[in-house]
Order: sequence, then structure tokens, then C-alpha cells
Amino acid sequence: MPVRTLLTLAGIVGIALFPFLATSPYYLHLVVVIAIFSIVTIGLDIVFGYTGEVSIGHAALMGIGGYTAGVLSFQLGIGFWPSLPLGIAISAAFGALLALPALRVTGPYLAMVTLAFGTIVQILINEMTFLTNGPLGIALKKPLFVDLRDWGDTIPFLDMSAARMRDMEFYFVVMAALLLTLVVVNRLLASRYGRAFEALRDSPIASDCMGVSVYRHKVLAFVLSSGLAGLAGVLFAYSEQYIAPNNFSFELSIQFLLAVTMGGRKSRVGPMLGSAIVVYLPNLLADIDQFRVVAGGIAAIAVVVGGIAMLRKPEDRARIAIPVALCVGFFAFSLVLQRITDFKLTVFGMMILFVVYYLPDGIFGFLRQTVAQFRPGWVHLHATIDAAGAQAWTATPPAIAEGKPLLEVGSVVMQFGGLRALDRVDLTVMPGTIHGLIGPNGSGKSTMMNVLTGIYIPTGGSVLFQGASIAGHKSPEIAAAGIARTFQNVQLFAELTLIENIMVGLHHRYRGSVAGVALGVPAARAEEADARARAGSLLRFVGLQDQANEEARNLPYGKQRLLEIARALALDPKLLLLDEPAAGLTAPDIKELMIIIRRVRDEGITVVLIEHHMDVVMNLCDIVTVLDFGQKIAEGRPAEVQADERVIAAYLGGSHAEAA
Amino acid sequence: MKKLLSALAATTMFVSVAQAQSIKIGLSGPFTGGSASMGVSMRDGVKLAVTEINKAGGVLGKQIQLVERDDEARNELGVQIAQELINKEQVVANLGYINTGVALASQRFFQEAEIPVINNVATGTLIAKQFVAPDHKANYIFRTSANDAIQSAMIVDEAIVRRGFKAPAILADSTNYGQLGRADLVKALEAKGVKPVAEEKFNIGDTDMTAQLLRAKNANADVILTYGIGPELAQIANGMAKLGWKLPLIGSWTLSMATFIDNAGANGDGAEMPQTFIQLPTTPKRKAFIEAYQAAYKVDRFPSPVSAAQGYDSVYLLAAAITQAKSTDGRKIREALENLQTKVEGVVTVYDHPFSATDHEAITNNIPVFGIVKAGRVEIAHPEDIAGDKALRVKAK
Amino acid sequence: MEILAQLIVSGIAVGMIYGVIAFGYQLTFATSKTLNFGQGEALMLGSLVGLTAVTITGYWLMLPIVLAFGLIQGSVVEWLGVRQAIKTKSEAGWIMATIALGIIFKNLAENIWGRDALKFPSPLPEAPLSFMGVNVLPMEIVIVFGALGLMLLVELFNRRSIYGKAVVATANDRDAAGLMGINTSLVITFSYALSSMTAAFAGVLVAPVTLTGASMGGALGLKAFAVAIIGGLSSGMGVVVGGLILGITETMTGYYISTGYKDVPGLVLLLLVLSFKPSGLFGKATIKKV
Repeated sequence: MPVRTLLTLAGIVGIALFPFLATSPYYLHLVVVIAIFSIVTIGLDIVFGYTGEVSIGHAALMGIGGYTAGVLSFQLGIGFWPSLPLGIAISAAFGALLALPALRVTGPYLAMVTLAFGTIVQILINEMTFLTNGPLGIALKKPLFVDLRDWGDTIPFLDMSAARMRDMEFYFVVMAALLLTLVVVNRLLASRYGRAFEALRDSPIASDCMGVSVYRHKVLAFVLSSGLAGLAGVLFAYSEQYIAPNNFSFELSIQFLLAVTMGGRKSRVGPMLGSAIVVYLPNLLADIDQFRVVAGGIAAIAVVVGGIAMLRKPEDRARIAIPVALCVGFFAFSLVLQRITDFKLTVFGMMILFVVYYLPDGIFGFLRQTVAQFRPGWVHLHATIDAAGAQAWTATPPAIAEGKPLLEVGSVVMQFGGLRALDRVDLTVMPGTIHGLIGPNGSGKSTMMNVLTGIYIPTGGSVLFQGASIAGHKSPEIAAAGIARTFQNVQLFAELTLIENIMVGLHHRYRGSVAGVALGVPAARAEEADARARAGSLLRFVGLQDQANEEARNLPYGKQRLLEIARALALDPKLLLLDEPAAGLTAPDIKELMIIIRRVRDEGITVVLIEHHMDVVMNLCDIVTVLDFGQKIAEGRPAEVQADERVIAAYLGGSHAEAA
Repeated sequence: MKKLLSALAATTMFVSVAQAQSIKIGLSGPFTGGSASMGVSMRDGVKLAVTEINKAGGVLGKQIQLVERDDEARNELGVQIAQELINKEQVVANLGYINTGVALASQRFFQEAEIPVINNVATGTLIAKQFVAPDHKANYIFRTSANDAIQSAMIVDEAIVRRGFKAPAILADSTNYGQLGRADLVKALEAKGVKPVAEEKFNIGDTDMTAQLLRAKNANADVILTYGIGPELAQIANGMAKLGWKLPLIGSWTLSMATFIDNAGANGDGAEMPQTFIQLPTTPKRKAFIEAYQAAYKVDRFPSPVSAAQGYDSVYLLAAAITQAKSTDGRKIREALENLQTKVEGVVTVYDHPFSATDHEAITNNIPVFGIVKAGRVEIAHPEDIAGDKALRVKAK
Repeated sequence: MEILAQLIVSGIAVGMIYGVIAFGYQLTFATSKTLNFGQGEALMLGSLVGLTAVTITGYWLMLPIVLAFGLIQGSVVEWLGVRQAIKTKSEAGWIMATIALGIIFKNLAENIWGRDALKFPSPLPEAPLSFMGVNVLPMEIVIVFGALGLMLLVELFNRRSIYGKAVVATANDRDAAGLMGINTSLVITFSYALSSMTAAFAGVLVAPVTLTGASMGGALGLKAFAVAIIGGLSSGMGVVVGGLILGITETMTGYYISTGYKDVPGLVLLLLVLSFKPSGLFGKATIKKV
């Protein structure tokens, strides 16, 4: 039986037995809080671990869920079960409210906005006493779901007091919520959404150009995690039986971040582990003796692990020594201090710094790496997708009117400040052709590509695709209209596998919704299987089917370019823009490339090709346009253009000589 | 390394063995934050008493062990600490609560667990009445401080009757303490047929009181009645100076906090507040207490004299009750407190049957006197209040 | 009318403080696209160090000590928190690290100077001056001119001196600047040092008017975020205007609505500006290059 299933089963059995073994209500309560925090941090991991955005407002989102429950109970007498969906929905709504403006721009804006949001929420809860009872807080009563005394006065080995029954039942309800969260999040992250989250992080530009809108998916990630935070908030309110505005503070948001980073991002176990540490930490710090024992244990582990690492890699000795020295020094520090509670926050801050520097993948990530070194079979970072039986790829025949130009660029101008990168350039691309675009460096070729794919908004002129204007449209829209591209500097999703890269390009084929994926409906599963098969066939088309489950960053350079082309083809484009596909390739690779490009054209897809390799241009292109300093200086059949004096002058700077 | 760990393990075992021979008492209050001077003074007063008792042989032959927890004046932390003290540390009683909000949120766990709580500083009137008949069979919450019903009546009496002001403005903070206190003030004013001309609110941490003061000024107030804690009260005093509009300050006991006096500087002079204890050697017991405290903690002026004295007294009351009950069972301690046979000579007063089944307040309205801030210290506002016999004021029978 | 004038005057003083802190954000964001989430703590440390220094050296000599301290503190923040993250191009790294450093500084300050608010001696008389019914503290006037003066000095430095030009070059294109022989790493450290120095100076300016203490930094740092975003993270002029807008909005809300809601408009403004003009009222939109 695979290790992972064994561990999961063991976990479930442990959860079921725990409340019978832990007699003290204090420890039962602690585990409930850890589970509740885990729900928040698993959600936060989607935002922080997967899409890479920092949110300092998850405590406030949790607070909104908690206060929904509190206000409903306090003002309207509404109890636990109705509060759950309402808490989730309202928190998700606030999440959308935050994410929609803040994620429009790249930069630390989400962090700043969520920080501000956290403060506003606390202030509003504090001031709106008519609704929330302000600083006085709201007291709730833990519900008794099932009264066992209805079935008999005593049941052997069960404590039947109302308080104990409440605690136990609530424990099971919370654990059920946690398990449900795990299942749903796992499903989502294993689906196209998970791939989208990783893709938008690895290369936002490629993601947009593949039709996977970075903005939309970041917002989706944030809204999902907000809903989870709201769920946790409702559970928390009933668990603590008291909520006050200060419960959901900046400090708590930081604790959530610490839990995710220290536990281990991009995993389920990591955030749970981190939550356990964060919840238990104040207890640990309150008791100096216990703290010393733990610090000593950590120092011991650090020395052992560091020692082994130093033996294996003696050249890294100095670098490894530092964190080990820090752990030992920390232990010494704990022996000197009499009271550690005064330094609680310093310990906290130092933990964050340590994790940022030395444990970027968290404890669980570190464990995974270590285990992968000894037993690689046990660690699966990606789902293994079987693409062996894939059939050959054929393009969906694009619906294009014959005889009419596919792409019509009219007098387009692209101005950056004082620089005109494109100066009234006309370009007409007929369907079914391979159209070359050449020119010296800086002539505007890549700028033209960026205008065509929505990365730049042209300063002037028109861009018509199939008769409709696409100037100023966003990249995902243009991708949906049927234009796909590759990049001069390869923009693969480095940490995804080959087949996963291609499946990102296939997002446009999915019709199902988030809910469908979360519930695991058959339609969603069928779509996923369909996408896998098609991705497999695309890989076969470029000859990479044997490395389907390799991470893209491990591919040799030449193959990476081929993968990019396959990914672009996944969009079922009508027009494929290739930006210097032959750059850096060896001669055999170039031959292979040319065969592939011809086959693409044979499948009915029009190609625009930017290239410096003149033999590629001459052999492949039906028609060539030449740019220089942003202006079109020649156009025609490859042979004509090759002999054109202005072209020669542009490349060689004036004096005539034979072209390359 | 192994030796160190085993030494630590041995120490832990020794500590837990030692614990079995001691009586654990919880001590929860704010030892950090804006309320810290009250919490720390209370803690120091408690520790002083515990040291004295332990030196004299402890209680029931066992040493008292204090389990301190910092609640940072935060209600939700108080709740967590209460659960920890009850379920994990298994204390026999809890001393503490400086902040009304924390007390109100946290006490019910002790009440449910039938463990007595002696509030030695928190003054919210509701505190000692949170769990009364007929809803509750017994009340486990006791108090040795002067509650806000008493204080607000005294404040109103001083402002309206004794000093003849007619247009009071109330400035209160947004915590449970401030808001419940404000409500008490309004009720007390009503009893004298007066309505406040302005009722303003501020948050903990606020430094700029201009808006509130301007509104009070617009309403033509002639005295400011306060319910807040040190740092913010200082900003009120400073804010008035900045506006060039100085009114007398009469407010709750917290105007005696060192943080108010130091931060307001000269602007704080003349502020008046009810005090159960002023740091003056007006009786032999008080003189001894002041000197012992100063020696133990190497201070001259107490950060919060009232907190220290009330904390000190609460320990002696609890010790007397445990001794009388001859047990550490919560129910028995409560019964003993409600029926204390021995007289306890405290710093604030001499306690003679301070509690009964229906009355859990040790301080009555004749015990506190008015203090006044003068040149950096709290002096007695009306010396005639403590002349002769009146120095020691006891609970009315 | 008098009250309105009083509110505006108080708002200007408080707004200038926000502006100076936001100015610090802008200094580091320009060169490294990062900013110090613990900037409020830099201000707090500056004022507490100043408080300690004042008792030894008197007010005027304390100023250079605080400025020097700010330079050092900023360098430490950059070295410990930001440098590594910039190298690994990790966005989350520097955010978490600067937050962590802020937390540590605050906790250390609590343990060294205590947790209570402390009084900072004012170099000027504390009696307010009265202009046409409006009361202004002499210190508030110093705040406004001190803040403006410092920002002007730094801007002049950037435009006139050769070191300043290096800063501008790094801000524009780090790789090109590096190729031109500019030690970009040093420039970034220097921008952090300058940033903390301005924050420390702001701390000393504002402390006599409000109280000083370990927890004074958090709220100020957050408000300055709002100012930086409203004014634009790439414009020096913007932070001044943004600060004034925020300061005056705050005092007005405090009076006309309720002091409890005082902090809300600034934060709401932040959300609004981000939604409609993310580069700020005065900022320039940047161009992506692929």
C-alpha cells in the first residue's frame, strides 16, 4: 500500500481515538484550535504558497466569519448550522472586495491592502456596538448536537456530563470540517486550478498569453481562502464561546503566515504542522522549563542534521554552520533568561527570519527533500500522468474565410516616452501562410509581437484579427480569440511537468466550474481525462512524450523551445506567433524545428515567425516583412527581400556584402 | 548535551514533586501594555503577601505557589488563561483581574468550575453580580476593590455637591470599564438631577483628544469627569493645555496611576480621584506595608498604590478562608469567605465579616477617600477625611 | 469656522508626519522595489533613542545621534531582511523579513524602555500659540517645516550630488547601473539607511506632541502606507500631498463623525486609490517589458 495512504489512514484513526485518550478538556480544546487554525492556513497556503501573494488579513477574514456567527447569535438568536454557510459566504464576499482592486497590480499591494483591511475590520467591529457589542465582545454557547442521555443514563466508558459531551461532539464536528477542507482543497489543487496557480506564479506573462488570466485566478485563490477563513471563524467563535475585536488582530495574521512558511508551503501537512506549532507556542513560552527542553531538542536536531550535511558536502561547511550555531545559541539564550514571556515576540520574529533564510520550504518541505534523497519513490511532487497511449495530434480546423487576410495591422504606432518602437507599420498576414518578420536588433519585431498579444496597448493605428479589432485587448482575451505565441526568453512554467505545462494551455476547453471540481462530479473528471489525452498527443507531436512527467526546468534548452510550441498549440490557435524559436539551437534541433513548423502550417494554422537564422527564414517562409528602427523597409518573397539593398544596408550598416 | 537534558528532566521532576506539596493560586492580570502599572503593582503586592505568609509557614502547612499569567488587558487572552489555569494548572483559586472586560469575559469559567475568584482591582459594578440567584446557586466571584457604583457616586458628589459644578462633560474609554463606568456616572448624575453636557469616547492608544475636548468646550462644560486609564488620561490633560482651555479633572481611581501623573506633568496637578489607599503612612500597618514594598521592589513611589494594597489584602483574605475551610476545595473556600470568622488586618481596612452569601463586596462607600495629584504624587484631597479616627475606615455593618 | 481651522491645522501637522514616513517607503521602493514593513518601528526606535540621548546631551546634540542611529538601523534592516530576498527574487521573503524585524525591534524596545508611554521633552515652550482663534503648538510648526526641510534636502541630494545620481540610476535600471560600475547593492543599502534616518527624524519630531513608547510605530507605519499609495510610490511630491489629505481627513472625521472612526477614511482611500489609479495620484504608470 502506498505510504501516503497508510499515513492518511493512520491519521484518521488517530483523530477518531484522540478524545477518548485525552481526558483533560484543556488538551482537547487545544487540538480543536489547531484544527481550526489548520483550516485557515490550508486556505492561506493557496494564496501564499501557490500564487505567491502575501496576505496579512486572514485573521480579519476569520474574524468576519466569527462575528457573523456572533452577531447572528447575539442579535437574532440564530445558531450554529445556519451560521456556517453564512459565515463562509460573507467572508468570501469580503475577500472578493479586497482582492478585486488589490490584485490588479503586481507588487506588495495585496500585503498593504490586507494589512489596512485587518485594521479597518478591527476598528469597525470595535465601534459598531449596536451590531457587534463592541469591545464588550459576544458570548456564545457551544451547542449540544446529540444528547446521548436520550438513549440511556449511562454508556460504559463514556463521560456523560453535558460539558464533556459538548466538547467531544464539537471536536468531531471540527475534525469533519477539517477533513472536508482537505478533500476539497486537494481536489482543487490537483485540477486545472492548481496548475493555473502554479503557472501564474512561474510566468505570469505566459499564463496570460495561454488564456489563463493571472488576475482572475489570483482573485479566485483569494476568495477561496477567504471562504475557508470564514468557516474557521464560525467554528472558532463556538469553540471559544467568546469573541472580542482583539481576537482577530495583526498578530494572528502574522501567526498564520508563520504557520504556512514554517510548516511548509504547497502541502496540506505543512500548514497543519505550522498551526500546531503556532497554537502551542504561547503555552511553551509561558513555561520556561519546558521551553528550555524544546530549545535543547531543536539544538540537538540542528547539530545532528547539520553534522550529516557537513559530512556530505564539506565545501558548504561555513554556510551550514551558521543556522546550526544559531540554534545552539538560541538554546544557550534560553538557559540564561528567567522569563521568556517578555521576549515572546522576539522569539516569534526570529523564527520568521530563520524560516525565511534557512527553511524556505518549511519543515515539511525540508523533510520531503530529505526523504526524497533516501527514498525517492515515497515523494510525489506531481501526479504522474500516463500519456503513453496518446494518439497523434490534429488541430481543430480553424474556421477562417478563404482569401481574406487573417491579421491586418494598419499603421500601428508604439511609443514609449520619446522612443517610437513601431512607426506606422502595416502588416497583412494571409491564412495558411508562414509569414516571416525579420530585422536587426531593436527594429521592433518583439514589440510587434507584444502588441499583437495584448502585452502592449498600441499608441496608434489599428490591429484587426479576422476583421475584429484586438488593439488594447488583454492577453487572455486575445488568446481566446485564437492567437498563441512563444517567447524570445523561454517562458515555461518551470516547476510544472511537461504535460502539466501543456494542460495549462488546454484550459480553454474546460466548461465546468469550481464547484464541479470541488465536488468531484463525473463531468469534471471526464474533462480532465480528455485534457490529459490531448496534452499527451501534443507532446507526441513535438517528440517529447517520453519526458511527460519531468519538470520543465530540467529539459535541455532546445527541447524547452519545442515544449513552448506544443503549449501554444494547445490553445487551438488560428495564428501562431513564434518569437526567435531557433535562437540558441544546434543544427539538428533546427532541422527538427523546421519540420514541426511545416507540419503546423499543414494542419491549417497560420504562422508568423521572427527569426535571425536566415536559412530558417528563407526555407520556411512564404512571405517576409523586414523592419528597421520601427519602420517597414521591405516586404516580399524571401529571395526578393534577401537581395533588397535597403535590407542589406540595415543589417550591415551601409556597405554592401552578401547576406548571411 | 545529554547530561544537560537529563539534568533538566530531573529538575522538572523535582519541580513537579515540589508542587504536590504546595497550594497553587492563579494570578492573572496585565503585566504588559497600558494597564501594566496596575497589573505589576497588584502582582507585587500579592507576591509580598505570599512571601510573608510562606515565611510564616504557609497555609495548612503548605507553601503558596503563584501561577502568573499575563492577560495583556485583552479579553480573549483572559479567556484562554482562565481555561489554562483551571484545566492545566488546576489552581484552587484565582487572584486578579485589573480590567473589567477581562474579568467579565473570563470569570465564568471559574464560576462553572466552582473555583473562587477574588477581584482585587477591577471595578466594574457588574463583576460581583455576574452570577447571582436565582439563576445561579452560588456566586464564586468576590471583590476587594471599590466598585464603580461607589466611585461614580463619590465622583458626582465631589463634583456637583462639594465643588458646585453644573455642566459636567464625561470622557470615557471604549473598553468595558470605560463604558460601564460612564453609564454609572450618568445614573449617579441623574440621581442629583444633572445631565452631562457631553459624553465622549476614546480608544486605548489614542493620543489626540482634540476632537472630544472641542466638543466638550462647545457644550460649555465646566468640569471633566473621566473613566479611563493612565496614558490616555494624560493625553486629556495635555490636550486641554494645548487648547489653552483647562478644566478640573475629577474621575475614577485610575487618575492615581503613575503613567497619568508622569505623562501629564504639571497639567495633571489638581486631578481628583477616589482612593482606597493613598501612599501615606497614616496607620502603622500602612507604614509597614509601604516600607516593605519599597524595600522589596526598590521603588519610592508605587506605580499604582491602590492596586498594590488591594492585591496584598486579597491574599490575606484568601489565606484566612483556606485556613478556616481546612481544605482547598472551591466550594468550601467560598463558604469560608462568605462566613469569615477571623478578623483580617489589611492595608486598606480591617476586614470583619467582609462577605456574606449575598454580599461579595469588601469595600463600602465610606471606605475610599479623595486623593489629589500634587507635584508628582497623590496626596489627600480633603485632610479632614482622615483626621484622627477616620484614618482607618471600616465596612459599615 | 474656528473649529474647522483648528482641525485643518492639527491635520496638517499629523499629515506631515505620515508624509515623512511615506517618503521613506518611496526611497527604498524606488531603488529596490521593496519597502520596510517595519518602518513604523524605525520611527519608534528613533524617538526612544532620542529620549535616552536627550538626557545625556541635551536636545540639539541629540539630533545628529538619532540621525546616525537611523542610518545604522536602516542598514541593518537591509542587510538582515532585504538583501537575501532581493537576491532570490522572492517577493514574500522581504515582506516577511521586514515584518519580523519590526516585531523584534518592538519587543526589544518594550524590554529596554518598558511598555508604557513616555514623555518626550520639548525643545520649545509647550504653550500653544494663537493665530486668529486657532491654537498651534510651536512644536507642530517645527514638525511641518522640519519634515518638509528633510524631504527637500534628500530630493536635492538625489538630483545634484553624484551619489544621488547613482541612486536614481539604480532606481531606473539596476542591471544597467551595475554594468556602469555602480555598486547597486551599496546603493540599495544606502537607500534603506536614508529611509530609516528620515523615519527616526520623524520620530523625534512627533514625540513631543504625542507620547513616545514602544507601540507608537505600528499605527503610524500603516497610515503611511495609505499615504504612499495615495500619493504614489514613485513621487516625492505625492507623499506630501497624500499626507496632507490623510491628516486633514482624519481630524475632520474624528470631530464630525467620531474619533473611533478616525482611522477608517485613510484606509478606505487606500482601497479606492488602488482600485482606480494604482500608481497613485501623482505616480507614473510603469511599462512592462517582455
